[in-house]
Order: sequence, then C-alpha cells, then structure tokens
Amino acid sequence: MKNNKNLDVPRIVIVGHVDHGKSSFIGRLLYDIGEIQEEKYSELKKASQKRGNEFEFAFLLDALQDERDQGITIDTTRIFFKTKKRKYVFIDAPGHKEFIRNMITGAASADIAILIVDVNEGIKQQTKKHSYLLKLLGFEKVITLYNKMDKVGYSESKFLNIKSNLETFLSKIGIKSYSSIPISSRKGDNIVTLSKETEWYKGFSFIQVLDEYKIHENNKSEFIRFPVQDIYKLGDKRIIVGRIESGKIKSGTKLIFLPSNEIVNVKTLEVWPKAKKEYEVGACIGITLSDQIFVDKGNMASDIKAPPQLTNRFESRLFWLSKKKISFNKKYLMKINTGEYEVSINKIKKIIDVESLIEKKKTNVEKNDICEVVIHSSELIPMDDYTFNKSTSRFCLLDEKEIVAGGIVDIRNYPDQREYRDNLNQNIIPVNYAVSEIDRSIKYNHRPGIVWLTGLSGAGKSTIAKNVEKRLFQKNINVFSLDGDNLRIGLNKNLDFSPEDRTENIRRTAEVANLFTKAGFIVLVSLISPYRSERKKARDIRPEIFREIYIEASLEVCSKRDVKGLYAKAMKGEIKNFTGVSSPYEPPEMPNLVINTSKYSIEESVKKLETFILNEFSF
Amino acid sequence: MQSNLNKLENESIFIFRQAYRSIPNIALLWSLGKDSNVMIWLAFKAFLGKIPFPVVHVDTGKKFKEMYSFRDKYVKKWDLNLIKGSCPSIHKIDPSLPPAARSAARKTEGLRNIIKEKNFRGIIAGIRRDEQGTRAKERIFSPRTDSGTWDIKNQPPEFWDQSNFNYPKSVHVRIHPLLSWTEIDIWEYIKCEKIPVVDLYFSKNGKRYRSLGDEDITLPVESSAKNVDEVIEELKISKTSERSGRTMDHEEENVFERLRSKGYM
Repeated sequence: MKNNKNLDVPRIVIVGHVDHGKSSFIGRLLYDIGEIQEEKYSELKKASQKRGNEFEFAFLLDALQDERDQGITIDTTRIFFKTKKRKYVFIDAPGHKEFIRNMITGAASADIAILIVDVNEGIKQQTKKHSYLLKLLGFEKVITLYNKMDKVGYSESKFLNIKSNLETFLSKIGIKSYSSIPISSRKGDNIVTLSKETEWYKGFSFIQVLDEYKIHENNKSEFIRFPVQDIYKLGDKRIIVGRIESGKIKSGTKLIFLPSNEIVNVKTLEVWPKAKKEYEVGACIGITLSDQIFVDKGNMASDIKAPPQLTNRFESRLFWLSKKKISFNKKYLMKINTGEYEVSINKIKKIIDVESLIEKKKTNVEKNDICEVVIHSSELIPMDDYTFNKSTSRFCLLDEKEIVAGGIVDIRNYPDQREYRDNLNQNIIPVNYAVSEIDRSIKYNHRPGIVWLTGLSGAGKSTIAKNVEKRLFQKNINVFSLDGDNLRIGLNKNLDFSPEDRTENIRRTAEVANLFTKAGFIVLVSLISPYRSERKKARDIRPEIFREIYIEASLEVCSKRDVKGLYAKAMKGEIKNFTGVSSPYEPPEMPNLVINTSKYSIEESVKKLETFILNEFSF
Repeated sequence: MQSNLNKLENESIFIFRQAYRSIPNIALLWSLGKDSNVMIWLAFKAFLGKIPFPVVHVDTGKKFKEMYSFRDKYVKKWDLNLIKGSCPSIHKIDPSLPPAARSAARKTEGLRNIIKEKNFRGIIAGIRRDEQGTRAKERIFSPRTDSGTWDIKNQPPEFWDQSNFNYPKSVHVRIHPLLSWTEIDIWEYIKCEKIPVVDLYFSKNGKRYRSLGDEDITLPVESSAKNVDEVIEELKISKTSERSGRTMDHEEENVFERLRSKGYM
C-alpha cells in the first residue's frame, strides 16, 4: 500500500514515420538493459541470419512472420520491461500510412508518448500525422528521439536543425517537446548511457529521462461522471454497475441521472467480496439507489453541481479510418461512454492537412483524413466538452459492422438542452415547442444567440446594434434588436430608474431575448445594464449562448457627445439615478468582446461586432 | 492492493461486463491453469459473486491428474456451471504440423466443436500479451470466423474502451480480459487475493511447472520456489521465458502463429 505511485506501470507508445526505427529502438533498449531473455535472443538471431542480416533488434517486436519478411510493423505490439526505478509497457505502433487504425489502437491507451525521427531523412508525412493524432488522443507533451545519429556523423548542427523544425511544427499543434535526445539504435548511443560520440549533448540519456517522467492522471476533473454500464438484479437488489470516470462516490452521494434529470442518493456500494467506504476514478463498482427511478444502460449519473450537457447537435474533430468515404445520407452508430446513439453527419466544416495544418481543398473525407464535422442525433446525448473532461467526451462511429471513425466532442458553442431549471417551479409546466430550437437552427443555418451590449448612455450601443442588425439581415440571418429605450415605451412602461426597477427591466428584457432565441433568432440587446450582478442574472438564463459586449467610452466622451441631451439634464440634477452621473456603472470584468468607440469609428465598430457574431453563431 | 494490480483488475472487470452486456451466449475457457483461475476470480468480482455463464474445460484427456482433481474440487466450491468438451484423436489433425504443435492443435478442434455445439458467440480466454509475440498483437475483443480463424492483418481498431460487437452470426468473438497482465502480475494478484492454484506450479525435487499444458508436451523447469512468494521472487530475476517448457512453441519459427491463425488460443 505504501509508495503506490512507484508501483504504477506507465504505458509508453512510440510513434513516427515508417522505417525511422521504432521497433529497432525498443529492441536495442531491451537488449542494453538486459531484458531480452536468452532463448529469445538466440531464436531471433537464427531468424535474422535466415534472412541474411546481422542481428535485427526490430525482430524482437515484429514477431509476426510477415513482418519479419517485409521488415515493417503491421500491428501494435506490447513489450514489458523494467528499469531500476519502475516497470514499463512499450507499445510499438506501426508507422506505415496503411496502418493508422493500429497506431491509434496502440496510442489510445498510453501514458507516455515518444516520437522518433530519422535525422538523416528528417520530418516526414507520418511524423506529422502521428503528432497530430497524439494531440487528438489527448497528449500534450512528447519525448522526441532523433535517431540514426551515427549516419550523420553525430553532427550537432544536423540535430539542431531538425529539432528546430520539429519543435516549430509541434508547437503549432499544441504539443510540447518534453525532452529531445540524439540517439542511435544501431550503436546504442544515449539510450541507456550517455555517448562519447555526442559530447555536445548536455541532456540526459533516454532511460534517465523516462525514469524521471511524471505521469499525470488523464482525468483530473473533480466532478462525478458514472456512465451506466449495466444493471444487475441480484435477489431483490437492483444494482447499477459502471466505472467512475471522474470524481468520487460513496453511500449518500447525490447523483443526477441523464437524460431523465432525476436526482437520487446512492444507498449502498456493491463490490465483491466486500465494498470499501469510497471509490474514485477508474474503479468499476456497483451502486443501489435510495429511490427507484428508471435507469438504463448508457445513462449518465453525475454530479449535481456540474452535470454534462445534453445535446443532439455538436461539433467534433474526427479521424476517419474506413475505406468507405464519409456520407451525409448514412446513419452511423455513435458509441460514447456506455451509450449508443444513431447519428448523422450534417456538415464537414473542414478537412485538415496535417502537413501544412491548413484546410485541404477537397470535400470528401477519405481514409486517414482528419476533419471537423457537425453531428446530429435524434436523441439527446449526455456529453462533456473535450476541454472539460477527456474521458467522457470521446467516441467512435460505426457503420454497420465496422468502426469507421474516432472523435472528440466540441460543444463550447452549443446550447445545453437540459431544461432542469423548469423543474424548480413544479406548478409551471412549460409547453413543449412543437418545432424544436434545433430544427429552426438547421433551417436558418445559424445558432440562436443573445448579444448583450452594455455601456454608458451615449457610448454607441443602439447605433452599433441597429447597423449590425441591418447587415446581418442582409446576410439572411434571423436577427432582431431589442433596445432599452424602446422597451420602456411598452413592456417596461411601469418601471422607473430606481435600482429595483432597473433590475426588473433587465429581467424582463432578458426573458424576451430568451423567447426570441427559442424562435431561432440572434437577439441584439442594447441596455446600459449598469450592475454586474444583474448582467450575470441575464447571462444565467442561457449562459451557453449569451455573449457580453462592452461598448466602451469614457464618461467624458459620452457627456460631450450627449446626443439625447440627457447628460446636460442629469448634471443639472433634472434626472435622478443617471448612470455615470448620479448612479454607478460597473464595467464588465470578463466581456466576450470590448469595442472602444472613442478609438474606433462607427463603421469599424459595426464591422467588429458583425465579425464576432458570425464567428460565434454560424455553424 | 498495489495500484498497478488495482488498475489491471478494474480494466478486466470492465471488459467482463462489457462482454456480458454486448455478446449473447458467452462462456469462459477454464484450462485449470493459474491464469484461468485468476479469470474466474475476476468474473466473481465483475458479477458480484455469481458467474452468469458457463465455464468450459476443453479436455485433451492428457492433463496432469492434479489438474483433474483441482477441477473437481473447485467446480463444487465455486458453484460453477461446467461444460466439458472433448478433443478429436491426433489422427484427425494436420500432419504437416510439428509433433507437439500437432498434439496441441487437438485442443483447437475440441474448442471449435464445443462452440458449434453450444452456439457460443463469445469465448473468454486468459491469454496475455507478454506470453508470446503473436499474442502481443491481440485485441481485447477479437473476432473469429466460424472456422475459428484469426485474420491477423485485418484486425479491427480498438480504442477508448470502444469495440465493435456487431458481427454476423457465423463469427464468434474471443474476449481477452487478461491481455495487459504479465506473468508476475498474475502471481502477485494470486498472492494478494489468495486465489487457489494447482500444486504443480511449486517446486518438488528441484523442479516446478511454470506453464501447464498436456502432460506429454509440458516440461518442468529447474526451480526451488515452493510457494507463491518464492515464485514471485524467482520471476523477478528469471531470464527464461514462461513458455520455455512448452515444447510446441519451439519446434519451428512460426509454428505458434500458424496454430493461432487456425484458432488456437
């Protein structure tokens, strides 16, 4: 029980272009640290000689007959080894382009990633593709090995040159090079011990780097995620089994089940032969509940504080593995967590060329492409965004009998459709809209949104809003502008400028905006809305599509402009509670956009807001 | 429990539950060896004390007598639903295989027959990646055609605990819950959980069996390890491979791959 950390066995994946020496490197490493069993060594020596080679370290891993004959790795292999410090498992992933699905199978379960590059050949297509896939699989750093140094005469400049190119590429895709080591698998340089051939190299040997490497648990989210794997009936007990993907569970833990939205307590923990008091990430457990609610396989039990979103439309970054091209007309089976859903692909946003990292000029997604798509499901799916919880935001797609793609979820711009707030007041039962919001979005080809313009009177809110409304309308966007002044003529007629009434004014305006979003509109709200707390309440109505825009202009500038003559009146004391003069204005702390109208012209300001809206709410 | 064992245990339980949920009519292969005893133990954990499917012993008729008495004792003690399968005679097996491999191939035939007879769609087998090179390439859920063949070059992708279970009726799936375990993990788990194993694994007259197969094609290794602790200590320094006593593995370079592609575990 002591020193648990040291007893972890890290899983290492090694990737890189075909022939850059992945398997040879592992073979060499194992040989140098004395991990190759004697009989295996002589068996392999025989096999090497049969093919007219000296000892081929790669044969150790490339155990399949075909691989020995062709000299390439076809499938992923596992090799177990130990250093003085700890045990490891090596996963050798094939570098050949044809075997991407095997590379992914290998890399998806790894804790440490190693990227190997042949210094003689330099960075190749699969070097880049594998790096990109590592990023998609959740890696943020890699150990980079510069192999075959013996072939370039241990040249430091050659090493530095390729290192700098590779690091530029890696930083573009968001991966850090944890350590860069010049090695030779053939000669064994800098693998277990530092080499005399590379005295210019001031770093550590590979084994030293590996032993010092700290494994970070993939999932640090504290919020409970417990996808229901199955339900067992034992005696009169109904036991829900699953694996804790994040958070901790004990008896009494309050859980919300999605998609039903029911909240219940954990009654007992069920583990054979005897349960502990509490379980955490990674544990496969069973639970019984305090109340009998309907629970099914694939449901998600989670923390009531931060449950996953429920959505039937989301974006995803996909890697496509099938020979069959992507199709809009097909139904795919999506497997996410323990759930299965029928989905269709609505739109390909872009296909990424992993070499240049720019969009590919083609419209067809083919085998081994990486792309961004919009996916639609007929059912609501509980899911997290990839940046929030890695393990509950990744999925695979099946086309009948074949896994065709893997992907990660991006729902940052999509509305949560779990309207649990309505449950708070049991006496008001909202009428379900016959035409759903998502249907409207699809028809209008943009998402609904609330764009909330706050700022002093005279800062330019209404002027900007009016112009932006006009321009968006011309672009066929369903847009409507709600103006504070205009609302006060009708809906808010009975309200004055006292703090209480200002609050009510904001609440009503926000609710009206909310209704418009249900109709699929992008609503521009121009309202001084001076208090942070009130703007937060407005945001809370639909936080996922609410954007706060600060139209900034100093009091001096505004009072000079004084288009409506209000500042003059306020200064004389003719208007009470005038924001900025006799009533406070609290500028936003974290607005989504700031437009300073004393710096930018009306035209420029309008353009800025228009671009922002198009980016935020288009599909 | 050590954290790596804890992790392996949870992974295996997850696989068991996934298999039971996704594949109709499954069975567990109980070879009476240490690994398959660990599997039974893990199945108790996965299904909370009662295994909801049969265990199959494909009997070559040539196992050690200690293994048969172990079987008869624990069938009762563990309340297992045991199905015994028999193997065809050696004369019906591919004569081009080297002698020991040919003998081992009887088990493949026996397994194929029982799968057909009982219409099993999933077979849980206790193979591990560290045992042998081609086993290292296995998937956790590995589809086989009705003749039992393994299409090595066209294995399905498997990532993020997602697998394909949608196969035609003629295909059965091999389920490998111990794939990520190593020999020493198995022994450490046996020690930690006090799982019973056959005495043949422990030293008698300076020799013990490291891996158990048919009596006539399995050789003991030099060893003084008399109990689980001593076995673990021995393995920490051993440089010989686990299956070195299994003569079938060493007759020809690719014999194991040939056996496996035909449906051997």
